Amino acid sequence: MMPADSGETLGQRLERYLSALWSDDVGVTNLSRIPGGASRETYRFDAQTRAGVRSLILRRDPTGSLIDTNRRVEFLAYQSFHGVVPVPEPVVLDEEGGALQRPFFIMARIDGGAPASPFAPSPYGEHADEIGEQLFAILGRIARTETGALPLAQCFGRPDPSTCWRGALDEWEAVILRDERHPQPIVRAAMRRLRRNPPPPAARISVVHGDYRSGNFLHDGHGKILGVLDWEMVHFGDPLEDLAWCCDPLWNHFDSTRVAGTISEAAAIAIWERESGLKVDTEALKWWKLFSAVKGQAIWTTAAKEFAVDNTNLSLAISGLYPPRRHDRIMADALQCLVEEGWT
Amino acid sequence: MTPTAPELLIGCAAALVAVPNAEDAGVFTATRLRTVATLNVLVAQECANGSAARVWENAALRLLLVEAAERYGARFAEAASIDDGDLSLTALDGANARLRRLLICLHEAAEDAADHKLDRTILSLYCEMARRRELRLPGEKPAT
Repeated sequence: MMPADSGETLGQRLERYLSALWSDDVGVTNLSRIPGGASRETYRFDAQTRAGVRSLILRRDPTGSLIDTNRRVEFLAYQSFHGVVPVPEPVVLDEEGGALQRPFFIMARIDGGAPASPFAPSPYGEHADEIGEQLFAILGRIARTETGALPLAQCFGRPDPSTCWRGALDEWEAVILRDERHPQPIVRAAMRRLRRNPPPPAARISVVHGDYRSGNFLHDGHGKILGVLDWEMVHFGDPLEDLAWCCDPLWNHFDSTRVAGTISEAAAIAIWERESGLKVDTEALKWWKLFSAVKGQAIWTTAAKEFAVDNTNLSLAISGLYPPRRHDRIMADALQCLVEEGWT
Repeated sequence: MTPTAPELLIGCAAALVAVPNAEDAGVFTATRLRTVATLNVLVAQECANGSAARVWENAALRLLLVEAAERYGARFAEAASIDDGDLSLTALDGANARLRRLLICLHEAAEDAADHKLDRTILSLYCEMARRRELRLPGEKPAT
């Protein structure tokens, strides 16, 4: 293990680590940090080996984070779905972190694509329909995948279908209560309402990506999804959680007629049902939609708190400022509608 | 509460003066500069409209809470004495925090009492509170 203050650059540390890992004389070139989400530092680089050049991505734990996640879980998610849906090939996980100062993992790089900015108007242009078809088909395939044999099963027990909603709500409510810097009456009201009006049992316990949305996949600009990214919040639960999150108005690119800036919600649900083999319970989906706004508000609440600690992390600043205002609006509007529909 | 305007601007300044690592050059630095620009636009909106939104919200909460005191208890009448101080954002936020805590209690009490009229009044108020606090990103088109 290298001491933290050895004075080596990140590239030199990577060379030392990969040379030992692969019993090779590895050279690291083109090392460059990229904006890869607020929860981990992300770098692209090329590793020169005797066998040739490997195009790679490094995901390293940050000093402060939007969400407190386990890099092992994210790595196992890539292992679980590589070859099933488009995801990068996982290469190595180092949970000790001494070699690069903090825990990290490395995966193969998918070139030729980019993620959309989640708040850009019309990011998929004329290819919105094709992207939407793939986006919800992939999500359906994730929901269809049997959990028991996956590497991810090392990390998670199988939640009870009838109460998994409560576990999810408990988790995010605790985050809000822990990190809140200012009273938030709207999200408090939403949490109470969710508890009083629980959803029906999950039709199936599936892998839940946890942050499946526009902006978290690579697309080639010509209508093809190349890779689903950012699995750090993956868990087992009701697959409607992902469907609702992906359909959250925050990610609709300011077009309420299209979910995730792609296709209509009805079309998205039809594709998802076809691929998952499940039927969407509309009442359950309403519950998970309101839950999505609560979960979002918890994430943004933590971002605001973390920004107060590390005020140079501008991803935390944006996350703590803009989305919570929109999620308050989304939640308030949803609460009014749900009460009109008979929610107690 | 979302980060304050001073916290955000200090953060932008700190990010700009920080000595970058060699591997930060390129896309990451370009994105950081865009983020600084975006934050400045959002902070400008907050400085222009934030006081008005808070003064309105505090007044609305005061009125609601004081009116509810007769049925739900004298503690809600305390809202009348929570003033906005010197009208700085800090003072307004301090008053707002106290009023919002009372609002949370009042809404819980209304729900427990099955007071649908007050419940709906509060839900409508939430919509207006959220609407007045919304920010617009640069180039954001109005929602359809």
